[in-house]
Amino acid sequence: MHPWLAWCAAALLGACAFDVIHVDQRPTQLESASASGRPFELAADVDVDIGFGYHRILKKGTKWRSLGRLPQGDVYTTSDQVLTVEASNIQEAYIVIESRKLVGFYLPVEKTFSPLGQRMDLAMKDLP
Amino acid sequence: MATVQGKEMPKRSASLLFAAAVCLFLGACATSGPKFSEARPFPATPAAGDGRIYVYRTAVLGMAVQPEVRINGEVVGTATPNGYFFVDRKPGNYEITTTTEVERKLSLTLDKDQTRYVRLGISMGFFVGHVYPELVDTDVGAKELQDLRYTGK
Repeated sequence: MHPWLAWCAAALLGACAFDVIHVDQRPTQLESASASGRPFELAADVDVDIGFGYHRILKKGTKWRSLGRLPQGDVYTTSDQVLTVEASNIQEAYIVIESRKLVGFYLPVEKTFSPLGQRMDLAMKDLP
Repeated sequence: MATVQGKEMPKRSASLLFAAAVCLFLGACATSGPKFSEARPFPATPAAGDGRIYVYRTAVLGMAVQPEVRINGEVVGTATPNGYFFVDRKPGNYEITTTTEVERKLSLTLDKDQTRYVRLGISMGFFVGHVYPELVDTDVGAKELQDLRYTGK
């Protein structure tokens, strides 16, 4: 076998077997006292590309409430669906919204912010 | 005639032995506890102020791979196909891990009186399959649990 071919095969198999992909995370500080964001309901499904070929659907009709604020935006959670981000491991996540756009996720166990590659519009219906 | 029978016997015996071996293997892998739908877990609800995490595996694929399941490093059960168990814990942050040739981890929060459902999936590995924990929606978890058998202690 050609040495390059053997090296590529080893790298490919190694990639399958070990933890090689990680969600981009940045330490952050959640200020729950400043939960100023208004609750809202999603008026349409949102297909979110979370990277590495993984997608998550934020479901139409789910109701979201503000938990607090990060420097990157307001943190929202819902009891209507579970939300996780995924690479080699899976982490529970809340959404982060700035100027009515989804900008990333807050990982409550790791206490980190994971940015989206591209901000996404959300069909938000404000709730009282 | 006796000669023909004599020649067929070893073949038949081998088939029977093979069938018996398969039954034994499957029997050894089978989950034997009561079904969730037939015998609800006890206690039915966690102690006041605690939450509950159900951990279950529907996948029979890779049934020989049954790693331990740990919560914050403590072994709480095994990834038995068609089986489930649960743990009651104080509200807080938890990491659920399984290890085959690699470690797979799920991090989640648990609130007071909350019930969470963690499904153990299986994916391809290098030498053996990888069992990975994933958080699922409550309605999905509650439904999938119905036909599974209790494997807790």
